[in-house]
Amino acid sequence: MMFDPVLMIALPLLAAFLIPVINRFSKAIPKYIPVVVIGFNLYESIMLLPYSMVKPVIVIIAGWQPPLGINLTIGPLGNILALMISLVGFVVAIYNIKFVTEEPTEKYYMLFLLIITGATGVVLTGDLFNMFVFLEITSISAYALTAFIRDRNGAEAAFKYLLIGGIASTMILLGIAIIYTYTGTLNLADIAQKMQYVDPKIALAAMVLLIVGFGVEAELFPLNGWAPDAYSQAPTPVGAVFGGIVVKAGVYGLARMIYTIFNFEGVFYFLMIMGLITLLMAEMSAMRQSQIKRMLAFSSIGQMGLVFIAFGLATQRGVEGALFQMLNHALLKPLLFLSAGYLVYYSGSKNIEDLDGMGRRKPFLAFFFAFGAFAIMGLPPLNGFWSKMIIISETIRNGFVIVAAFVLAGSVIEAVYYLRVVGRLYFKKHDDNQQEKYVHGSAIFAMSILVILAIVIGLYPDLVMQYLKPAAEELVNKSLYIQSVFAIN
Amino acid sequence: MRKILAVFFIGVFGYYMLAILMDFPFGIDHLNPGLAGAYLKDTVSKTGAVNVVTSIIVNYRGFDTLGEVTVLFLAATGMSALLYDGKTMNRSRQNASVIVKAGSRLLFPLIIILGAYVFIHGHLTPGGGFQGGAIIASGFLLMFISYRNYHVSHRILSNVESTAGSVFVVLGLLGLLYGATFLENIMPLGIPNKLFSGGLIPLIYIAVGFKVGAELTALLDTMLKTVK
Repeated sequence: MMFDPVLMIALPLLAAFLIPVINRFSKAIPKYIPVVVIGFNLYESIMLLPYSMVKPVIVIIAGWQPPLGINLTIGPLGNILALMISLVGFVVAIYNIKFVTEEPTEKYYMLFLLIITGATGVVLTGDLFNMFVFLEITSISAYALTAFIRDRNGAEAAFKYLLIGGIASTMILLGIAIIYTYTGTLNLADIAQKMQYVDPKIALAAMVLLIVGFGVEAELFPLNGWAPDAYSQAPTPVGAVFGGIVVKAGVYGLARMIYTIFNFEGVFYFLMIMGLITLLMAEMSAMRQSQIKRMLAFSSIGQMGLVFIAFGLATQRGVEGALFQMLNHALLKPLLFLSAGYLVYYSGSKNIEDLDGMGRRKPFLAFFFAFGAFAIMGLPPLNGFWSKMIIISETIRNGFVIVAAFVLAGSVIEAVYYLRVVGRLYFKKHDDNQQEKYVHGSAIFAMSILVILAIVIGLYPDLVMQYLKPAAEELVNKSLYIQSVFAIN
Repeated sequence: MRKILAVFFIGVFGYYMLAILMDFPFGIDHLNPGLAGAYLKDTVSKTGAVNVVTSIIVNYRGFDTLGEVTVLFLAATGMSALLYDGKTMNRSRQNASVIVKAGSRLLFPLIIILGAYVFIHGHLTPGGGFQGGAIIASGFLLMFISYRNYHVSHRILSNVESTAGSVFVVLGLLGLLYGATFLENIMPLGIPNKLFSGGLIPLIYIAVGFKVGAELTALLDTMLKTVK
């Protein structure tokens, strides 16, 4: 049975508003609310898939037809991203149950629920200003969650993020204002239709503002200075959410802008070059990190660089590769973060060198981390291999051999720093005087879901490719998107 | 060198933006064609609210407003989470002079009434839930400044906040229950210019008014209490 898709946003908001009241009655209930609500989102986005694959589902809000009111436009792309977001959210919500003990816990669950709601809203909405509002919800909860542990470093990271994010929001708003002045509408499809009549000089200014704005959340170089600090200072599950969810919302916004709204050919080259710089800078920085979470943060930025390169190709297959890479990253980076969180918890230190010998002491956790590392490096039977192969072969097919060479070089660097950690986990001796702590069953369960999905996708990549094809088509062929919104009139 | 480069880039970017903004058609009547014209033409007959701005905020783009209410809620939640200390805190300031104290006691009820008036009449006169809520919070701020020991119960504020937020969402869900769309008006529109007109608009704005008032009051109280 399928419900109205607007419930994917309305119910989490209602739940977040009610958590403080529920917390009065029982301190134990709030931690299960995100699991239930995001579980509903997951169910709903799976049930939506057969409908949105045929043609985008348009959800009217407040009874007004598209250009007049706000509507949700759930095409294949939005639906797949919503599925990705609720899946990662669901897994992290299960992991949260035992992991979060920092007071005030109910506030943590409110913020956690809202960060996921915001990201879901960004990918589902068909309205530019509405997208901005949901991006604000995502980023404001992200600022608060970054500093949730309330120590000096957390505050510094959150403040840095707040400054960059605040400027980015202002730029997006200014870009929206310019677009609204010249097109007189905020509906994405309507803007896409009317953009061709706008003076290119003005459209360029709006595009620059929007790319910079969304680029901050999407971790595009040089706007990603906030990421390493925020990832490493935030509580572990939040780092996983940043890598798995917040970034995806930013990348979706960026892709929607350059593919659907604007029609500048040159921006694709720009995106490819920026993606390449992002990739190389991030991989080389990751190499130098001594803290495991910072290393993972830089690796996350590097992966996004790869996604930008694929988006820069602007071909059907290239976009498929980008989306596949996003899906793999959404599964693997949370896995790495969640397992690294427990590894750090056991060793009592954030440094890589203190993780020696964890492979024998904590075989499960070390296996999860090693699995994630191998998959993200792109070892052949695993899922990361397929997306990387699609992107690299498509880059070569389009004649960008040098770019492909740099991407391969980046992959080698990536392999080096991941293998260095995995090697320490398994082949170094540990000191015995560490106290014994146990992994919570809920965390093992959460990480197992990710591992199983990664294995299934690795063995049967066609299973997801059949869904990614229409999603990529929605971006590459924008008239499809425009028509679907106006067909209902 | 880095600074010179930064200044150079900001200069180029600033010049470009300035050139764009100079071309903005300010003051020219470009309202009537397109969306803006449609809003102006049909609002009163279709939504029952004579304040077009309010009807756009609460009805046409009510979903955005739900988002904005959430943003404020998030800001309040995030701040109270970050300033959480587990202990009760006090304001550091001294009592104000007799004149301020007496004056603020006189003004406080009037400010609250003005705030309530602004959000109840959001569909008729300029203003609305956000403005009314901010006025109410300013009334509480006046009391905080004048009386060192003036306490508000965060329990009650948080209950008001939760209830008002839930009312907004539930009013939206009512639309779905009645077989219409989310946030769609399911009540009679009433006669324009009367207090009971505009369908759901006044109800939503009253909820928003309570929510914003409670949130800003709680925020101000948390921020002013700095000593143990």
